[in-house]
Amino acid sequence: MELKAKLGRITAVLLLALTTQAVFAGPADPANELAALDQQTQALKKSVLELNRDLFVLEEELLYPSNTQVAVFVSLDVGEYFALDSVELSVDGKNVSNYLYTERELKALQRGGVHQLFIGNLKVGEHELVAVFTGQGPHERDYRRGASLIIDKNIGSKYVELRISDSEQAMQPEFVVREWE
Amino acid sequence: MIRSAIQHWSSLVASLAILAATIGPARADGLDGFVVQDPHYGEVLFHFYQQDQFTALTHLVTARSQNRVQHHQDDAELLQGGLLLSWGQHDEAGKIFERLLDTTDDVSVRNRTWFYLAKVRYQRGHLEAAERAFESISAPLPPELEAERYNLHARLYMDNGRYADAVALLNNWKGDETWTAYANYNTGVALVRMGQLEMGATLLDRVGTMRASTEEMRSLRDQANVALGFSYLQAQLDGDARPVLLRVRLNGPFSNKALLGAGWADSAGKNYRAALGPWLELSDRDLLDSAVQESLLAVPYAFAQLGAEPQAAEHYTRALDIFGTELARLDNALADAGSDRLLNSLLETEPGSMGGWYWELDSLPDDERTRYLYFAIADHRFHEGLKSYRDLAALDKHLAQWQDKLSAYRDMLATRELAYAERLPVLQDKVARFDLPAMLAQQEQNTQRTKQARATRDVVAVAPDVEQKQWRRLLAMESAPAWDTRAASGLQDKQRVLKGVLLWNMDKEFRVRLWRQENANAELSEDLKLAADQFAAIERATDSLPGTVLNFEQRIDALEASIGQLQTRLGGSMGQYAQFLNAIATEELVAQRERLLTYRAQARFALASVYDRMAAQNR
Repeated sequence: MELKAKLGRITAVLLLALTTQAVFAGPADPANELAALDQQTQALKKSVLELNRDLFVLEEELLYPSNTQVAVFVSLDVGEYFALDSVELSVDGKNVSNYLYTERELKALQRGGVHQLFIGNLKVGEHELVAVFTGQGPHERDYRRGASLIIDKNIGSKYVELRISDSEQAMQPEFVVREWE
Repeated sequence: MIRSAIQHWSSLVASLAILAATIGPARADGLDGFVVQDPHYGEVLFHFYQQDQFTALTHLVTARSQNRVQHHQDDAELLQGGLLLSWGQHDEAGKIFERLLDTTDDVSVRNRTWFYLAKVRYQRGHLEAAERAFESISAPLPPELEAERYNLHARLYMDNGRYADAVALLNNWKGDETWTAYANYNTGVALVRMGQLEMGATLLDRVGTMRASTEEMRSLRDQANVALGFSYLQAQLDGDARPVLLRVRLNGPFSNKALLGAGWADSAGKNYRAALGPWLELSDRDLLDSAVQESLLAVPYAFAQLGAEPQAAEHYTRALDIFGTELARLDNALADAGSDRLLNSLLETEPGSMGGWYWELDSLPDDERTRYLYFAIADHRFHEGLKSYRDLAALDKHLAQWQDKLSAYRDMLATRELAYAERLPVLQDKVARFDLPAMLAQQEQNTQRTKQARATRDVVAVAPDVEQKQWRRLLAMESAPAWDTRAASGLQDKQRVLKGVLLWNMDKEFRVRLWRQENANAELSEDLKLAADQFAAIERATDSLPGTVLNFEQRIDALEASIGQLQTRLGGSMGQYAQFLNAIATEELVAQRERLLTYRAQARFALASVYDRMAAQNR
């Protein structure tokens, strides 16, 4: 009898515990110490976030002023015919970036994320961008393909997109370098 | 022995609550298939999809302040709210969601906003307001959010004791395999709590026998079997409990509870010999788990019930030794609990990254100092406090990194200033020697001359210098004093022929030469315009660079001061958290010590009883 009584209590507590998620805590007592600390933490985090924003803006204005700034982004659309390994980027014949993608990054690209491959400064005038994509093409064959674009850099930031998409008609990947509008 | 078990279960089950913290699968955002129109928004998503939430949030806030996500205003607002919510910024997140509901008509955005608002309210304990927010969702959400919505809503019902509503809600929902398993589990538990064991058991049994390909699912399967096994025990269905509890993996996080329960199932049926199997297995495990502590008393109890007094005495003696050793270790841990050493050793196990916002402390470093925090983390306040402490420590580290960067930028600006001071005189000298106005006047003159040549068909004006020189010499001959004399008559003929040939040639080439001249004038005009622009740019740069550098330096000064102030505040706050956490840790350690003391007292008493019985038998 003693054992059964004990089990009754244990099971009730156990079931409660099993259905309680720490992340979704039950009703909180706003007067308790943790709640007060939490309010303080929220205020602190808010301040850090604002400061962080100002720091980022300063950093960009200092290192990449908008009149010379050029940023190159990589995006992926579908990606059934091409599994991206790496991208090599040259500007006016000079290599500026070699980037090897992790599986996690590839998944982020496939879900619609855009990777900023390069940010730098270029003078006003014409510049040639050449991107070389390496990976596995259809039938798991090694695949290496280049694409280029002449950009006319004016005063103001310039954003360029390196886009990998699938050509359903040719059943091949397509590589496009274009200015982001 | 059995009475003491009741007290221990409260801590055992509390620790189970932590182990069972992940009651829903890893969350997704429901934004798949989104067409990115602003690259910087896509860049934020790139970090977000990799669970690098802090980077995503900081980049999003920066991009929004620079007006770089114009095409995604509502989604960016919603994403920011969601990220803030995940980071524990409930108040800010709540404000964003309420603002969004006031400003957007987009039904999809509104529904997602209601969902997040419900989540904020639930987390803050405003259950009625959370319920209203759930009811405001007018259409299905993206699949991943929809699953979370149903499960969260069901939990809200269960928190309010509305188990029937929870069951009805989850019965009407079909999700993917993982979410369905969680829903079955939650529904099963709700049914058992409503007293409908048979129906609840069907669902829990379904989860308890499912094929599981991931550790998360295997763990859920074990959890379901433990819940079902104990429900059977409560209902005095000991025979049903045992096989269910034995389905739990021997090395999983729920195995200790399952072994203890399996022993109880046998013990309840007076089958003490069978009970010894799981209890003996359990008694050799890590003593941190109260199930193991319990087994140290359960094993000799079973031997005693079987009439095996010598073995019972041996195991009680063993238990006393183990409890004694453990108490000494606990005393050392208690001495540490007053200092920051415990917290620091916890933070050492995971460097201060802010990536894992869904971080749960479900495993502890195997360290003499920290192993006893196992009990403290079972306390919700400790767990949440530690999470915040860790976030603050990571922010402190983050700000220190910015401080280093700012110092580098200050050096960079100093170098720029130096280079400016060195180059300026050279540049000014070059500019002074370059007479741009004179060149512009010369160019204007050339243009006028070409225009005149076109208007009057002046073939000589566009001819090369050599031909112009020859033409002038031929004309000069006609002005010579001896030109009209008889002796010059032969020369006059020659001169006339040469003049005619030259004129004919110049006339023939006129159109080409005029075209070339006009082109050359236009090119020169462009070059001079460019030069004028460059001169102006040099002048502007010369004038503005000192101001720009000064502006940056002032901004760096201000930001460095802000970093310093924030670090002071962070330090103060971390100190308060440390005090708070150490107090809970001490409280838990004291409670644990008292439990062990009670166990030891019970073991001593039981051992004495066994010795008495043995003595009586020998008499």
